[in-house]
Amino acid sequence: MDNKTNPTLDMEAVRAKLAGKRGKQYWRSLGDLLDTRETQEFLADEIPQTTRMAGLHVDRRRFLSLAGASLALAGLSGCRFKEQKKLVPYVHKPEELIEGIPLFYATAIPSIGGYGLGALVTSREGRPIKLEGNPDHPISQGKLDALGQAALLPLYDPDRAQIVSNQGEISSWHDFFGQARGIIAAQKATQGAGLRILSETITSPTLADLKANLLKQFPQAKWVQYEPAGRDNVRTAAITAFGSPVHTVYNFKGAARVLSLDADFLMSMPGSVRFSSDFIAGRKVREGAKPETVNRLYVVESVPSVTGAIADHKLTLRPSQLEAFALAIAAGVGVTIPNAPTLDAATKKFADAVAADLKSAAKGTSLVVPGDFVSPNIHILAHAINQQLGNVGTSVVYTESVEADPVTQFADLATLTQEMQAGKVEALIVLGGNPAYTAPANLGFKEQLRKPAFRVHLGLYEDETSELCQWHLPEAHFLEAWGDIRAYDGTASIIQPIISPLYDGKSAIELLSGLIEVPRDGYTIVSDYWSRQGFTGPNDFNKMLHDGVVANTAAKPKSVTLNPAALTALPPPAAVTLDNSSIEVTLRPDPNIWDGRHSNNGWLQELPKPFVKLTWDNGAYISPDTAAKFHLKIDKDYADSAEIIELTFKDNSVNPPVERKEKVPVIIQPGVPEDTVNLFLGYGRTRAGSLGNDIGYNAYNLFTSNAPWQFTAALARTDSKYPLAVTTHHQTMEGRDIIRVGSIAQFQRKPSLAPEENPTKSAPENGAPPVETKEAGLEEEQPNIYNADEWKWPAEGDATYGAYKWGMVVDLNSCVGCNACMVACQAENNIPIVGKEQVLVGRHMNWIRIDTYYETTAESVDDYVKNPSTYFQPLMCVQCEQAPCEPVCPVAATIHSSEGLNQMIYNRCIGTKYCSNNCPYKVRRFNFLNYANHWDIAVVKMRNNPEVTVRGRGVMEKCSYCVQRINSVRQKAKQQEREIEDGEVTTACQQTCPTGAITFGNLNDKNSEVAKLKEQPHNYGLLADLNTRPRTTYLGRVRNPNPDLEEHHVG
Amino acid sequence: MAQIFHPTTNLLSRLSLLVFGVIGPASTLLIGSAITRFPFGTKVGVPLAQPVPFSHEHHNVELGIDCRYCHGGVEKSPYSPLPATEVCMSCHSQIWTDSPLLQPVRDSYTTNKPILWNNVNNVPDFAYFPHNIHINRGVSCNYCHGPVQKEMLVYKGQPFFMSWCLNCHRNPEKYIQPRENVWKLYTDIQRYGYTVDASGKPESDPTRTGLTPREKALAEGEEYVNSAEEQKVAEELIPQYKVKKKQLTDCWVCHR
Repeated sequence: MDNKTNPTLDMEAVRAKLAGKRGKQYWRSLGDLLDTRETQEFLADEIPQTTRMAGLHVDRRRFLSLAGASLALAGLSGCRFKEQKKLVPYVHKPEELIEGIPLFYATAIPSIGGYGLGALVTSREGRPIKLEGNPDHPISQGKLDALGQAALLPLYDPDRAQIVSNQGEISSWHDFFGQARGIIAAQKATQGAGLRILSETITSPTLADLKANLLKQFPQAKWVQYEPAGRDNVRTAAITAFGSPVHTVYNFKGAARVLSLDADFLMSMPGSVRFSSDFIAGRKVREGAKPETVNRLYVVESVPSVTGAIADHKLTLRPSQLEAFALAIAAGVGVTIPNAPTLDAATKKFADAVAADLKSAAKGTSLVVPGDFVSPNIHILAHAINQQLGNVGTSVVYTESVEADPVTQFADLATLTQEMQAGKVEALIVLGGNPAYTAPANLGFKEQLRKPAFRVHLGLYEDETSELCQWHLPEAHFLEAWGDIRAYDGTASIIQPIISPLYDGKSAIELLSGLIEVPRDGYTIVSDYWSRQGFTGPNDFNKMLHDGVVANTAAKPKSVTLNPAALTALPPPAAVTLDNSSIEVTLRPDPNIWDGRHSNNGWLQELPKPFVKLTWDNGAYISPDTAAKFHLKIDKDYADSAEIIELTFKDNSVNPPVERKEKVPVIIQPGVPEDTVNLFLGYGRTRAGSLGNDIGYNAYNLFTSNAPWQFTAALARTDSKYPLAVTTHHQTMEGRDIIRVGSIAQFQRKPSLAPEENPTKSAPENGAPPVETKEAGLEEEQPNIYNADEWKWPAEGDATYGAYKWGMVVDLNSCVGCNACMVACQAENNIPIVGKEQVLVGRHMNWIRIDTYYETTAESVDDYVKNPSTYFQPLMCVQCEQAPCEPVCPVAATIHSSEGLNQMIYNRCIGTKYCSNNCPYKVRRFNFLNYANHWDIAVVKMRNNPEVTVRGRGVMEKCSYCVQRINSVRQKAKQQEREIEDGEVTTACQQTCPTGAITFGNLNDKNSEVAKLKEQPHNYGLLADLNTRPRTTYLGRVRNPNPDLEEHHVG
Repeated sequence: MAQIFHPTTNLLSRLSLLVFGVIGPASTLLIGSAITRFPFGTKVGVPLAQPVPFSHEHHNVELGIDCRYCHGGVEKSPYSPLPATEVCMSCHSQIWTDSPLLQPVRDSYTTNKPILWNNVNNVPDFAYFPHNIHINRGVSCNYCHGPVQKEMLVYKGQPFFMSWCLNCHRNPEKYIQPRENVWKLYTDIQRYGYTVDASGKPESDPTRTGLTPREKALAEGEEYVNSAEEQKVAEELIPQYKVKKKQLTDCWVCHR
């Protein structure tokens, strides 16, 4: 193809750009790095594309007439007779409830892989409005991830299935049970030979008990578990290595050297909340820290992950190369392996250094973690390496399986499909899940689903599977039903209902009970099960409910020995040769909407995915080099028009072989291995609901049970384009000293980590703003941008400050970019979602954003484009003491409080947006439309936090340091006639942060946690050289590189 | 041709300028502001029909039922909760069981449907008024709700203008009092009626023979500013009650 007509990534230009610069450069995207004229123009707007209003073309005349009319009518908007408001008291007031005071209940959220995450639910007048982690739960420890925070929203989703339907007609539970009990009873004759149950992975002890009961009554029946993004590889490897599906629990506490083999253990594994908390606890750098006290992380990955971004050393490898790398590590630490791998020089050097470092760590203080989706062989090698390093029993603990009857799910689903095809299945009951959408394409499950005569689907939504089943039964949301679930470490939690079912839904256990026994309600089923487990005391069940965990139910450690045959039988890694048109493909669940189950969750859809900041779509990530190879364009505005490529995967697993094709929009993303494209599941749905329908591509079309997670496909360009809503370039801060990073050795030498002194300011024609060389601090002699006579801010230590001086510190070394804070903030502060069209014009509303920066030096550009160092920076309103937004507001709608909060008064705001223009941090958000009440649906409004105003159209908003939480703690303290204690006020983002990266408190109290952090040498204020005196400051990121690999990274 | 307009019309035209240019706009403004400030707009002192004609005077002053029997939680919660139907029925299942006036209460209890009361006191959604913190600072119900203990049907006691809120938030010492006085007011009314003891004895003095002037004013729903003596007490209460004067006028105290 012709290079001239298709401008591709010009590495020479990048090199030339960087040649004139010294030290580190930070960039947000490739366009940023290239610094093209288009990019500059694009970025000159605070919110690029604001003017590109979708479909609005107004000429001068029409504008004037509209303006006149609105002026004339504006005054009348206040003239109306208000409807008499009604006050609605209870008839019988529930116990313990006082209107206006939240109640908290412990429960558990069904999360990744079917494991539970302990939660405390905030309930206001019977409505659950917020989920927070349960401090007593071993995995959540009081924290939640983004998926956990967002698990609340589907409860109030108006698209949820609301009725029992039979062939699309409204029916009732009564009719259903009438028919179903007859059919099930008829199965008795054949011992249930025609009965099949299909569920997702089961960790619920009660459901497992009902399952056993069913299989006892119907010995010929079969129960199939299938979850697309399941842990089949983990189970297969455990069975091969140990002879039984033992469960591997990683313990990052005390792990000094960690190697991740494509494992995103900080964000998307079942125990991630605990993993990230333990792991980051081992690398909090404070004054006087030494390299020995900080852990070190190596990541080898095929898909860019937040874990890779945190790594001290990262290597990107094609998926097919991963196994050879694992073999090299195994050989390096002394495991006897059958085939020595051949690696290229760079990879070999990396592997040697990693193996040496792992070996040098004290016995039991290293850890090798394979990802859930890498091949079973790599898992077996990881087991061997961990055993060789003496980690078993300390950082790796093997336990009995947590799942009920672990099975190889793909195989079971294949058998079920064949049985359906053969007509052996008479009744199929699908409990949750959406197999018609998620089943591997090669099985033909969807086509065979119509075969059984009696088909039932229980689900939250009427989805693709419901479409093919006669009966759809509305499932109760986990906040509406009784149940139980086990956590990643095996600890069981009771799921208790916080609200009665909004739509007459039933849970899986209630449905099963109704089918195979004398029907019981959920409470009876669960409490009966646990009383049979020996919890017979009168208060035992109440204690479980109160604590949110069942004591001593963690899975028992198991002593296992690695079967040596598992190692000797390892085949040599299959070499994948690629020709000019082929490429390796990885498939992974989407970080936000997972396997598609969260498709209709607006919070997760609009949550920018890590790195790419893509919303409302899935993209195909491809590296800059590979993009150049295939002549793919890097577009000027990233969002408008992603190029669409077609991937063709030749599937030999079916006879005759078929070609599976899918068209996907390309995102050029540094950090993706060469000749690899990363695809993500979960999109392209047709019956997800009004938010999730018909967006993105459906990667399940390429998903096969033989090679689900990695395969080779042919890549072909197409001429079409597709708009992607990417937020990378909204709200940029234009260079400057934004991120501070250094190695631990540098930290010891110069703890401030400030940029190096540079006597000559870089010339403006370089494209970058002048580098501020002064040690940025809160200096008084710096100029004030406003005339001091006209506008006066309180000075530092001014008596106008009250008893409390609120401040925040964000530790960049602890932030793993998992996005949990963004969703927590959204739930707490009633932040609306705006939809893809509005995100495209830069109007997303999240008060926190997580900026991603890539680091480059002039010396080795190639390396950094392929494998960049990545840094996250959460940014919300920093509550400047000298806030530039304040003097420009014509109506004083944003002014300072006595405690140093930069207050935003919604009812005063007239929407000039001057404040946002003047904000150097770009953290203000404007309600261009009536987002909050766009859907005038009662059930949607039920979710709102009554402590926070729901903002209307034309109002500016921003982070308030969760002032409603400050106020409620203040009122409590005042009533007890005491001052607020340190740690008593937590902001929503701080509360949920699994790694404790955010600290908030009173700076006047010199003993407060936050005041002590502000004394740290690497504490710095963002853009502090503007003399805004931000109350939120950052602790610089400190890396702990391996001296043997130093040149791999800027140290 | 004869002039169409007689010279006297000059005066008329000048007068009309005055009428349309000055008097008209001025009176429009006056009438407009009058509508918003007089009871017609503010509804202050205008009783509202309710499904059940509940009398505070009867229940509180005559029968001596404490405010918190029905509005329990007002000391703990930002809201002043309304009584659940079962609270009404705790007495009315025994007395006045046949009264037609109480039919809605009995209906609510038997059908499990709440009684829909008409809202009398309302602050806009963007203003957050916590009852608990005010009650615990000695701001008695009557400061905001008027002579609520003698209202046969509830009416609004104050128009709730922001400037009126700020009177107290700027100068709390002029208004706050020991928190015991909040409930003492009603027991004192039950004991002394509306007679006043002008001797200057404070509320805490049991040898009084009538209401203190502060109690009297509050009982009648009149605006009351602490006397010099009372202000001294209030100033001592401010640090004890952890009231931070500067913070009281921060916007985010009430708006968020």
